Amino acid sequence: MKPAETISKYSSYILLAPGLIASFIGVIVPLAILAPISFYKYRFPEIIPEFTLENYLGYLFSAKTGTILLNTFGLSFMTCLLCFAVAYPIAYTLSFKIRSPRFKTYVVSLLMVPFLIDWSIRTVAWISVLGERGLINYFLTSTGISATPQKFLFSPIALIVIWLQTYTLFMMFPIYLAMQRINLDYIRAAQVLRAPPHRIQYEIVFKLSMPGILTGFIFVFVSTLGDFVTPSLWAGGIQTLGLSIAVFAGNYLWTQAAAMSTIMLAITLLALYILVKVGKIKKLVYER
Amino acid sequence: MLKFFVAAFIIFIYLPAFLVILLSFEQSSSIALPITGFTLDWYVKKPVGYESPAFVSLLYDYGFWDALVNSVRTSLVVAAFTAIIVTSSALALRHRVKGRDLLFYALLLGFIIPGVTLGLGSTFFYSILGMEYSFWSVVLINTVYTVPFGLILMMARFDPDLMEYEKAASALKANPMNVLRKITFPLIKWEIISATIFGFLLSWGELIRTQFMLKGLGTLSVFIYTQLSVYPLTPKWYAAGTLVSVIAFSALAILAFLLARGAR
Repeated sequence: MKPAETISKYSSYILLAPGLIASFIGVIVPLAILAPISFYKYRFPEIIPEFTLENYLGYLFSAKTGTILLNTFGLSFMTCLLCFAVAYPIAYTLSFKIRSPRFKTYVVSLLMVPFLIDWSIRTVAWISVLGERGLINYFLTSTGISATPQKFLFSPIALIVIWLQTYTLFMMFPIYLAMQRINLDYIRAAQVLRAPPHRIQYEIVFKLSMPGILTGFIFVFVSTLGDFVTPSLWAGGIQTLGLSIAVFAGNYLWTQAAAMSTIMLAITLLALYILVKVGKIKKLVYER
Repeated sequence: MLKFFVAAFIIFIYLPAFLVILLSFEQSSSIALPITGFTLDWYVKKPVGYESPAFVSLLYDYGFWDALVNSVRTSLVVAAFTAIIVTSSALALRHRVKGRDLLFYALLLGFIIPGVTLGLGSTFFYSILGMEYSFWSVVLINTVYTVPFGLILMMARFDPDLMEYEKAASALKANPMNVLRKITFPLIKWEIISATIFGFLLSWGELIRTQFMLKGLGTLSVFIYTQLSVYPLTPKWYAAGTLVSVIAFSALAILAFLLARGAR
């Protein structure tokens, strides 16, 4: 190896240091503290460092646990599917149907906006659309389709609509990146060989977008998993894992909140493993 | 057909924002269509005697302005950190360094770990340190959240020939600092600026993580969220939303312009 290259390798590690230090202090250390606390005893207001499993057992054998887990995964997975159904055609349009790179950038920016609007405002904004005197009910009652206002808010529908608006971007972006990397020659070759369009779509576009699709699923999944604010406001009393953590923490039941967080962390690490092994997120970003 | 679908989706995601702006000028105090009359009261009316914060106009709600200042401060610092970390990490990760994949995933952690888990863990961490609710804990938790976005965005947009130019310069015996200054930075400056704005915007709207890190006023997102969980929803909050969104929109317009400028 030439000396110049050696220097550039060392300097790479130095360049990585700020990010890794931030990740270490900001993520790894807090999580390393969180996990042991979930095994500690708790007598208000002290956390007693003695080993116990009661934080987990109390939770696992609670009658509500099954419903909570079902709600959490059901809602998150449903959101993932809907986000995919919306994001895939959009990513496809951006990648293959819009030619001008400048116009493409403007469309991407337009799609980014809602995610960047203030969190609280974005969620309360939906009252004006879904509320009893909101846009949809105004339309329904004034056209006579429905005599009385329908109740959309405070239901899983409201939650999924709001999540769809918020997180579709997380699905679209990785799929878009994956599609950007599809070699157009494959498609041309398939066309020359008279492949039917639906097979080109499936065998080339869909299969080669797979890393992006998986990454998108995981991004949306972990984001909805960790979002307790939207369910607390709009789900109409439906309990999710994230929401229960926030409720426990809000009531100073620290060790139980920690136990549930650790369960969520385990689920997330599993998702991360899938992301690394199957999704191959690095292929979207730096491996060509 | 597909383009119509994209247009429809854009309308869907913008609909609430337009209604927020429209209803912030509503005369009555309820969020309801149709509009009964236009007024600027929710923005500038001087309060008479004591009024619930839900009815005090934006201009005279001092809590709102304090939170706004907090938000601007936090977001500016987060944006600066994001720019530095994203740029240096992205430059390093282009090389096939040992353990590159692992290092890359380590940088993504702040986004992958669910907000509520990370928020709770950080609460424990800072209470052990005795540094609860400090400005820097907010900055850090926001920075680890914004870096992954910026990093993916920047690395995906890198000019594939960038490394070739650098190698050419090195082969011509330019020293590393000069390569960085004369070749690398000029070629990626728009990406750096975009990452900075992106960091600003993301931390501007972040609520889940920040909520754990702050007591009292907090940033705007936290302030509005806490106020709404206590007081009724009036067009005042829509006025607040309009103002806050105008700031975010302006930043995004700049970002779009810059991205389009650099678009290849």
